[in-house]
Amino acid sequence: MSGLEQFKDRNVSQNYYKVQIEPYPKTGWEKFKRVLKRSIKLELFVGLKITLMEMLRFNIHTVQYPKEKLPIGPRYRAVHRLLRLLESGTERCIGCGLCEKICISNCIRIDTKVDEHGRKVPTEYTINFGRCIFCGYCAEVCPELAIVHGPDYENASEQRAHFALKEDMLTPLDKLKQQQEYPGFGAPTPVADQRIKKTPLAY
Amino acid sequence: MVEAIAFYLFAFLTVAMFTITVMSKNALYAMSALAAGMIFISAFFFLLDADFLGVVQIIVYSGAVMAVYAFGMMFLDTTKDVKEKNPSKKIVFFLSGMVALLLVLIVLSPIVSDKVQALYPISHDIGNAEAVGIVLFTKYLVPFEVAAIMLLVAMIAGIILASKRMDESITLKIDQEIERSKKEQQ
Amino acid sequence: MDAAFVIATIIKILIVLGIFSALAGFGTYVERKVLAFMQRRLGPMHVGPYGLLQVLADGIKLFTKEDFIPQGAVRPIFMIAPVITAATAFIAMAAIPMFPEFTIGGYTVKPIISDINVGLLFVLGVMGAGLYGPLLAGMASQNKWSILGAARTAIQFLSYEVVTGLSVLAPVMIVGSLSLIDFNNYQAGGVSDWLVWKQPIAFILFLIAGFAETNRTPFDLLEHEAEVISGYATEYSGMRWGMFFIGEYANMFTLGFLASLIFLGGFNDLWFIPGAIAILMKVFFIFFFFLWTRASWPHVRPDQLMWLCWKVLMPLAVINVVITGIVMMF
Repeated sequence: MSGLEQFKDRNVSQNYYKVQIEPYPKTGWEKFKRVLKRSIKLELFVGLKITLMEMLRFNIHTVQYPKEKLPIGPRYRAVHRLLRLLESGTERCIGCGLCEKICISNCIRIDTKVDEHGRKVPTEYTINFGRCIFCGYCAEVCPELAIVHGPDYENASEQRAHFALKEDMLTPLDKLKQQQEYPGFGAPTPVADQRIKKTPLAY
Repeated sequence: MVEAIAFYLFAFLTVAMFTITVMSKNALYAMSALAAGMIFISAFFFLLDADFLGVVQIIVYSGAVMAVYAFGMMFLDTTKDVKEKNPSKKIVFFLSGMVALLLVLIVLSPIVSDKVQALYPISHDIGNAEAVGIVLFTKYLVPFEVAAIMLLVAMIAGIILASKRMDESITLKIDQEIERSKKEQQ
Repeated sequence: MDAAFVIATIIKILIVLGIFSALAGFGTYVERKVLAFMQRRLGPMHVGPYGLLQVLADGIKLFTKEDFIPQGAVRPIFMIAPVITAATAFIAMAAIPMFPEFTIGGYTVKPIISDINVGLLFVLGVMGAGLYGPLLAGMASQNKWSILGAARTAIQFLSYEVVTGLSVLAPVMIVGSLSLIDFNNYQAGGVSDWLVWKQPIAFILFLIAGFAETNRTPFDLLEHEAEVISGYATEYSGMRWGMFFIGEYANMFTLGFLASLIFLGGFNDLWFIPGAIAILMKVFFIFFFFLWTRASWPHVRPDQLMWLCWKVLMPLAVINVVITGIVMMF
């Protein structure tokens, strides 16, 4: 993984340089002079030299994808996860329906009921991944940190129905121990406390 | 034996191809059959040990028929049949058949009377290309040069015809300029 | 003797067909690898060791793909066009002496299928006739991109045939023969006898025209993706499409043999290297050069192609022929 971080550097504009383009020749004589100049300077062979040097240097940049993978950003937005409460193991979702409301591609659907403890719980929670655009609004709006974006981006499947169900996204009960407080998209950033400000209405 | 088989095979193929050329209503079929027939003719030169002429036949006619293709591409929809106006098929077939028969008779009569002899038979001491060269630059020098001058005249005429408005580019003009140049022409 | 000659010829034909069909397939692998390395990629890696069996996978895919013929196409001509390209590419090889003569069990083998005394013209003519494949394919496909490809085939063929012919004319004048074996024997005296030193301009012109005739990158306007989708091959799929490419790669090898025989000393021994290996090295260098330019140089526009042919290359070729004639006369 170590050699691949350089590809994450998106800040390339500092290395831009401007190409000097000579004015185009107007008359026939100028055109002829340009042809002659280019022929004598052997400009074509400069290109040949560059490609040959690249071949001999053998500085390959291919990432052989299934074998090696580029590191993804810490707040990458891939397939959603539904989390549970760490102590009791019950679902965090309180069935408020905010994610369903805010979803701009209308792909989230929640059915809720009031259970025996008087708590509102979702009976059904589906996200249509065929329509989801992974904008992240649902994770941002969730007041309970119940729905987050996980890092699993390899979600190819033979059928549309796959991944769309609650059981696939929800942390299974037996793996509850492994569930950690999620730092990725949906959770507050580590510096959230410093960034917090009073709302203008307070004063 | 092999040569006889080859001769009749290529004779059949050549005649069949040129029949298609004449009979077909589809321009693409006609042109392709023409090209194929021209290349099959070169087989006869190879059978007669005239390698040079055979190869020249292939090169010259493949280029020439390619030019016919270019015209076909420009003037016709080559994938569709051409509607031909033929007021009376009988006269057309009768006249063309008679002309063909006359040509065959003209070519055949000296052969029948056994007067044809090769003036410059192929000798195996010198190659094919040299033999053609010797004939061209000795006996047929004047017709050869005249043909060369005619081709030169045709080439210059073609360049002059094509180069009148050569520096103007239609694609690089904007619409108003095209309109203006049209008005100027009128 | 006669029966032996027939059998030997048939065996030679089978060997040439087999080897060059396989080489055409292998050529695609080499091309993809070389282009990849020049562009800092790895190329095919997954099928077999270092992707070597990629050719096989491609072959299986091409063979099992549906042989599709569009509804509006002219069926017989659409079907025969790729056969023309592949067949002419192999027919052209009939007159090429690939290797020096050698002896197997007392029988001297001439590695040339048919030693006609106008071999050079034959190879060039048949290679030129091979451009009927793209032309017919484009005109029969009932597709606008295809017909544009066909039109470009016609102009490219008609113009660059002239340059090829004129550029080899000067070496032909020096050697005084059209037989490729004579060309080879003329340069038997080592590197200093190579015709490329006497005719450098002819060599460069011949290579440039060869790029145009084999439809390779600086001049591959017939199927230039950015302009005409896939040109003449737009409507083709499966093995018919594959035949176009077998023909193209076979033509590249033919041109490699031609250039090495005419200009680069042919199959004569080179220092300590035996002749057969020497000519193979030359051919593969020219093949590599084809790929090298493809990785390095951009396409030209059709009008630039015509400009280059008629205003630069053809006058240069004519001047070269005239100067050669004058020098030979005195």
